[in-house]
Amino acid sequence: MHETELHDLSDDADYAASQRQGSVSMQRSDSAKTSSSAEPEGAELVYVKDNVTIHPSQFAAERIGGRLMLIKQGACLLLTWIPYKGQHSKLSEKDRNLYTIRGVSFSDVRSIRRHTPTLGWQYIIVVMSTGLAYPPLYFYSGGVKEFLATIKQHVFIVRSADDANIFLVNDFQNPLQRTLSSLELPRAVVANGLSASTSISDPHPAENQPIDDGSVSGEVASLSLYNGRPRPKVHDPARDLSIQVLEKFSLVTRFARETTSQLLRESLNNGYGANERRDHSPHYHDYSYKPSTDPEKAPVEVPVVPDPLEFDKLSMVWGKPRQSPLGSGEWATFLDSEGRVIDSKALKKRIFYGGVEHRLRREVWALLLGYHAFDSTYAEREYLRSMKKLEYETIKHQWQSISAEQAKRFTKFRERKGLIDKDVVSEVWRDFSSIVAALLVKFDVFLTFYPSSILKVRTDRSLSFYEGDDNPNVNLLRDILLTYSFYNFDLGYCQGMSDLLSPILYVMEDESESFWCFVALMERLGPNFNRDQNGMHSQLFALSKLVELLDLPLHNYFKQNDCLNYFFCFRWLLIQFKREFEYEKVMSLWEVFWTHHLSEHLHLYVCVSILKRYRKKIMGEQMDFDTLLKFINELSGLIDLNTILRDAEALCICAGENGAACIPPGTPPSLPIESSLLYPQQDDVL
Amino acid sequence: MSYAYLFKYIIIGDTGVGKSCLLLQFTDKRFQPVHDLTIGVEFGARMITIDNKPIKLQIWDTAGQESFRSITRSYYRGAAGALLVYDITRRETFNHLASWLEDARQHANANMTIMLIGNKCDLAHRRAVSTEEGEQFAKEHGLIFMEASAKTAQNVEEAFIKTAATIYKKIQDGVFDVSNESYGIKVGYGGIPGPSGGRDGVASQSGGCCG
Ligand SMILES: Nc1nc2c(ncn2[C@@H]2O[C@H](COP(=O)(O)OP(=O)(O)OP(=O)(O)O)[C@@H](O)[C@H]2O)c(=O)[nH]1
Ligand SMILES: [Mg+2]
Repeated sequence: MHETELHDLSDDADYAASQRQGSVSMQRSDSAKTSSSAEPEGAELVYVKDNVTIHPSQFAAERIGGRLMLIKQGACLLLTWIPYKGQHSKLSEKDRNLYTIRGVSFSDVRSIRRHTPTLGWQYIIVVMSTGLAYPPLYFYSGGVKEFLATIKQHVFIVRSADDANIFLVNDFQNPLQRTLSSLELPRAVVANGLSASTSISDPHPAENQPIDDGSVSGEVASLSLYNGRPRPKVHDPARDLSIQVLEKFSLVTRFARETTSQLLRESLNNGYGANERRDHSPHYHDYSYKPSTDPEKAPVEVPVVPDPLEFDKLSMVWGKPRQSPLGSGEWATFLDSEGRVIDSKALKKRIFYGGVEHRLRREVWALLLGYHAFDSTYAEREYLRSMKKLEYETIKHQWQSISAEQAKRFTKFRERKGLIDKDVVSEVWRDFSSIVAALLVKFDVFLTFYPSSILKVRTDRSLSFYEGDDNPNVNLLRDILLTYSFYNFDLGYCQGMSDLLSPILYVMEDESESFWCFVALMERLGPNFNRDQNGMHSQLFALSKLVELLDLPLHNYFKQNDCLNYFFCFRWLLIQFKREFEYEKVMSLWEVFWTHHLSEHLHLYVCVSILKRYRKKIMGEQMDFDTLLKFINELSGLIDLNTILRDAEALCICAGENGAACIPPGTPPSLPIESSLLYPQQDDVL
Repeated sequence: MSYAYLFKYIIIGDTGVGKSCLLLQFTDKRFQPVHDLTIGVEFGARMITIDNKPIKLQIWDTAGQESFRSITRSYYRGAAGALLVYDITRRETFNHLASWLEDARQHANANMTIMLIGNKCDLAHRRAVSTEEGEQFAKEHGLIFMEASAKTAQNVEEAFIKTAATIYKKIQDGVFDVSNESYGIKVGYGGIPGPSGGRDGVASQSGGCCG
């Protein structure tokens, strides 16, 4: 194997220096070519890394391990990832091979995004110039730096001005790239030497090199078949299939990018971009002067680093004003005579901007949650309702029929059962006592809906719905949760679920309907309650990446103060802001989330926008982890929902595909890939 | 309000043992028969007086459920005192004490003062853990021990204050470097740090022990 010279790309100074010598690094790749041409095949393995893994879903059992390689062939650098054979993955060999990356030429790569999470493995996302992105490659045995350094030796790459973790491979002429960077900090542009790199006239140096299509032996031979040329013409069914898979992965990305570029074009035409730039320049100079580096003069009042996006201005320009909720008259226009939703996309968009009037929620939520299909008729929905009611009763009967005597002996039964089927069922038997303890002994479910202050003040219907000592609705909540724990043995019952169920029962006013809507919601949010908390961790991780993307100074602040685990946002994420807003507000927030308009992960942008709203206070008061946690907790009831939603919308659009790339596939509330196939009606949601 | 010291407390123990109720009883002097279950962590604060010095207690009430443990662990950092709570009517909450203790030892600072509380002692008729067992466990692990009831307020005040008094004594004895905030102690404006040779004077109303 070619001995690679290790470059630490994370070192900005070193990297900036290398940028100044852009032409030199290209020469270097020329000389590398000369040396490798000594080999008859002209193909050389310059990098190989084992245990590089793809996570097609959130399920650990479906992960696919493989080997990542960089192959130098002529002037081309090719990226290859081959899954290991005969793995004990839940996916079939054929499915696994879908993910194979076969000798993709770097002349077709636009960028590589590096992720270095505080929790979990480092990974990269390779984005092609077509806009397609490969699923994240997780480096189980480390080596991302080495990987990038190796690429740097052979291909011209620069760090993006937008994000230090994005490495642009070829194209600086891309209009979007330019627009984005023109909105960005002059500081970042200078530091990364983008101005220097734009002067390089040939964005595809590799394409100009003669391609050696001569005889190639072994594994590499097959590579040249597809990728010897910059644009492969040869059709390979396997490759086409894999592209389809990739398209699925990148739908969000592409969509977001289109929206972004369109919006950016509009705003630039309004002269907005120029204003922004002018307004910003002085701040950046302030920023580059770091007050904290001078302990002698440590000021009492710590100056807050300006928000790179000057957020308030952005929200004025971008966050569309909220509309009034969708009413019955308008709702009727979305339906055909038999009750089908004619244009679900338009409906979702409408709901995104205004929510739904309360009396329509019953009908609309069932659709948004995916319990009913948008293209189902009134009659079909009615039929499903009755079938599902029977099914619900059956499951409910399972635990209802456990007598008190049986329950007493449950522990023993559990142990035996646990020995037989440890992985599948044991947990729920273990949990049974705690379910009963939590739900029967500890009747605290019903008060989870209101902070006690609201309970005292409000006398509206939402309150009376669950009020009183022997309230039948509280019993319904318990029954549904118990039944759910029998419906989903693996997940069982976990605290926080009642928070998610309560508004649903309040809206649906029917036990079975509530149950099935809850089931649909848990399809997406179930991983929040996994014992290993993987759903929460991936969201917290994505959140930290989004803040890094959208507010670098705040990110750096959190980093310095040991707050990067974002645990202070735990409650927000676990129960979707259930405890942060009044009941009615929670309902309208949720229906906005459930439209998945713009992003499935709008809730993460909501987190970012709240943090941004309070960044000045957080940084100005130099909050440490404890103080921050307390502060965030006490924001409950104080956040203005409409403002935050507008901000979040703006941020989501602004982040575009870079934002989407921050969020690992399968992060809740994304459906696991497997079940997305079971719910075709949600395809356009992706 | 100015204080001589601020102590960070953390309340831990299985779900449903009454952690939030104990806190509410201590801060608001009331009992809520149906309390919100805790997600993540909640906060309470109260001023107390020890040795004529105002001391502010900042109390972190954590979620007891097993699956939140990985998050809960991050809250131990910098706690000066911990109330480890079990429910005298639910044996399993007592059985889990060792694992809570292990968590605390692993993630909290070594000098953290731990008070073991057998809660719900108003439910004597449903008792599943004897007072002696509680005492024994505390002795074995070097904890202070009390039985209490968030419902009747019995020993609630005492538990919080006794813990504070113990921490205060440790400060007087020079166990902590109070300028190092990782011990969960902050010196306030009204406080003059340094040994004053004072004994721990517990200022509180009396409360009988229950059994
Ligand atoms: N009789 C009696 N009941 C109590 C006492 N303390 C708490 N409870 C009851 O126990 C239940 C649980 O109390 P919480 O304070 O919510 O429990 P927790 O430990 O905070 O639980 P998590 O937040 O889930 O970790 C409540 O419904 C109270 O009614 C007590 O001293 N006596
Ligand atoms: Mg609690």
